[in-house]
Amino acid sequence: MTPATALRAAGSAARRLLGMAVTLLVTSFLVFSSLYLAPGDPASFLVKGRSPSPQELLAIRQQYGFDDPFPVRYWHWLEGVLHGDLGRSYLFHQSVGEVLGARLPATLLLVGVATVLIAVLGVGAGIVGALRRGTRTGSAVLLLVTVGAAVPSFVAAIVLRSVFGVRLGWFPTIGNGTDLPDRLHHVALPAIALSVTFMALVTRVTRSSMLDELRREHVEVALSRGLPRRTVIRRHVLRNALGPIVTVGGLLVSGMLVSTAIVETAFGMSGIGSLLVQCVDQLDFQVVQAIVLLVVAAFVVVNTLVDLLHPLIDPRVRAAGGAR
Amino acid sequence: MRPRSLLAAATVATVLAAAGCSGTAKQADGTGAAYRLTDTTPAAGGDLDSFTWSLFGEPTTIDYAYSFDFPPNQILANVCESLLRWNPDLTTSPNLAASFANPTPTSWVYQIRPGVKFHDGSTLTADDVVASLRRNLDPEVGSVWGNQYRNVESIERTGPLEVTVTLQAPDATFNKYLAAGPGVVESAATLAKSGKEYGSPGTGVNCTGPFSFASWTSGQSLVLKRFDEYWNPQLKARSAQAKFVFLADPTTRVNAFRTGEVDGGWMVPAGAYAQLKDTPGGALYFGQNTTVATEVVNNLKGPLGDARVRQALLMAVDRKGIVKAGAGGVGEVANSLVTANNWNGAPGAAELIKALPEYPYDPAKAKALAAEAGVNGQKVVIATSPLDSQTTIITQAVAQAATAIGLKPEIDTIAADKYTALFTDPAAREGIDLFLTFWYTSITDPLDMYSSLRTGAFSNYGGWSDPKFDAAVDRAVGAYDPAAHAAATGEAQQIAMAQLPWLPLYTEPVSVFLGKRITGVKPSIAYLYYPWAAEIGAKG
Repeated sequence: MTPATALRAAGSAARRLLGMAVTLLVTSFLVFSSLYLAPGDPASFLVKGRSPSPQELLAIRQQYGFDDPFPVRYWHWLEGVLHGDLGRSYLFHQSVGEVLGARLPATLLLVGVATVLIAVLGVGAGIVGALRRGTRTGSAVLLLVTVGAAVPSFVAAIVLRSVFGVRLGWFPTIGNGTDLPDRLHHVALPAIALSVTFMALVTRVTRSSMLDELRREHVEVALSRGLPRRTVIRRHVLRNALGPIVTVGGLLVSGMLVSTAIVETAFGMSGIGSLLVQCVDQLDFQVVQAIVLLVVAAFVVVNTLVDLLHPLIDPRVRAAGGAR
Repeated sequence: MRPRSLLAAATVATVLAAAGCSGTAKQADGTGAAYRLTDTTPAAGGDLDSFTWSLFGEPTTIDYAYSFDFPPNQILANVCESLLRWNPDLTTSPNLAASFANPTPTSWVYQIRPGVKFHDGSTLTADDVVASLRRNLDPEVGSVWGNQYRNVESIERTGPLEVTVTLQAPDATFNKYLAAGPGVVESAATLAKSGKEYGSPGTGVNCTGPFSFASWTSGQSLVLKRFDEYWNPQLKARSAQAKFVFLADPTTRVNAFRTGEVDGGWMVPAGAYAQLKDTPGGALYFGQNTTVATEVVNNLKGPLGDARVRQALLMAVDRKGIVKAGAGGVGEVANSLVTANNWNGAPGAAELIKALPEYPYDPAKAKALAAEAGVNGQKVVIATSPLDSQTTIITQAVAQAATAIGLKPEIDTIAADKYTALFTDPAAREGIDLFLTFWYTSITDPLDMYSSLRTGAFSNYGGWSDPKFDAAVDRAVGAYDPAAHAAATGEAQQIAMAQLPWLPLYTEPVSVFLGKRITGVKPSIAYLYYPWAAEIGAKG
């Protein structure tokens, strides 16, 4: 890399980071405003179960700032978020940070294990499917992909739970676990249930991306010249095919954060997915805002990372960037 | 089963007992399935290190001032005690108040039990009682029990171990409420110190019950541990620890029962009765309840404004069918908005119950009655929520009945959070003619239910009004004499059941599942206020 291209690369990275910050800011505004435009008065939730006196209602509205003008409320909230203060959950009588802190590790572990499954099994099956195309193994991969893509996570959860949890008793059916081995034991079935569909998707992308590369002229030339097949596949096919796989993978990982609700509920786990459902149900705005913001941030950060990674994986992208 | 909680919240209300006394096998009509109500499960043979109990939801706090829902109350019942105690047989007895007197119609004097220790080791005094009860009057606190304190003028310490409550007018139910949430006593010092954090996961509570708060892992579990200095040897905890886990999904809960990962739980999903009845993993028990499944008539300006149409609708509802299909055959058709055991042997109760009008299933007669009232294809909106199969089945049956009498039912499916709002927010109820509730009382007195139908009462959602009914309720509230109280309450009940401001559907018993490791619990709705977990121990 020449100093000039390095500079350009740094400049483009800086632009991406700035873009990320702007995206987050705009998102925060949209998240905040959409929730306050939603029907339902949080004050009436707070007094459910009794008829409040007008003074009481007023006190509650003041306490939570429901009567402040919208920009003031947004500014207060944003200021708090920037200071790491996400507000106070009125459902849990705790700070939102504490509420999320208690649940985030379980979800991160769940998504983490699912990601590993997707990366290893999904990409692996895609490579096998491409290399063994037309054979019995290749068809088996295609069949699995078709079935896997058609199985919603709640169906997978129900089947896994009743077979491996209730009937065979190999895995626990509820809870998060205590130490790491126990947590992994608890998270195994939910992670499989969560990743089935995504795995099928990644397998499909990997397979077609590999096939595209295999058909390329330079690959055919390399093979016809007698270069070892293994080396050609690793250096030329896999490396070039990685771009689309990483892009799709990045989207899926951040997407999984919001798909955990069903799986968490089915396995009695407590993570942010089930928390989100609960808080939407009960109009706990502060928590919902924090979770939505968190998920959006994960999306933006992961995709920015993917963008930044691309030139490192694929020299052609770097070259194209240089020519611009 | 969240709808129940809604209801409970709105006004703690009423009853059922149709099933009668313990040990009676009931033959559910047409299903051939029998169920039995039991007072108690086999006594524990030994102590336990720990047991795990399932809750259908996580409490948001265990501060008694905000606890009106099944999850917080069934925990709190073991940690915090009230001045009086609501027993599993639905009687009331002294508890933290060793005795009480009613020297004038508007004053109640409580003698506080000496030598009772809080979980932090401090000793209970009259100041703790005053501070705890007064919170229910404080608008800043916003206690859910404000309505039960509406007649309270003042709460004063009148001795080191004596507290006097002065009422604005005689109120025959006030004292009874002190056996439930409104009578909980906590440490005044801890209340002052913890402020808004009181009852939260990080802080917990400081009370006098057989278990103390140990830890609460938000989203996962809440752990109690045995309190060794507990004052009452009869209710000393048999288990060193009780762990509550939060499992919202009914299937998840039932699976956890079957695998033994959870040792037990209240409120078993009706759909799983058959599955859990004969499992080697444990046993299913039914006990006394005060709950009635009720269709609230929310709009008296539409076709349901005519009492004949309400009567016709009730006659056209196949209530036996609902019990069979929707409640697993476990329950009885209700002729009243309260259960029979809610009367608990009040003078003349048997006659009052016998005199109630009945509305046997008779679609033809119902149709004729509705036609006489001029029903002709008018629309009625029935609100429901996709909560469980039970709710769906009941709603379908009511819609069918409406069609049968010539109305045009329209089912309005509302999300769970909005459904809760029906009980508190008039705007949310607009345009709705009927909605379902499982209404229970947390005291043994039918008046708890009927006073909520008084003109202008918060939970008189349809705005029903009958001067004779109001007069009877007022007389009952002011009547301390049990016979006069029961007679006036019975009069109100008779009017309500002839007029049907709400339509009673069926009563159901309390259900509880116990895994094979544990026993000793007393199945009864009193579990919301009685330290039931203390009696759970190891199987013999």
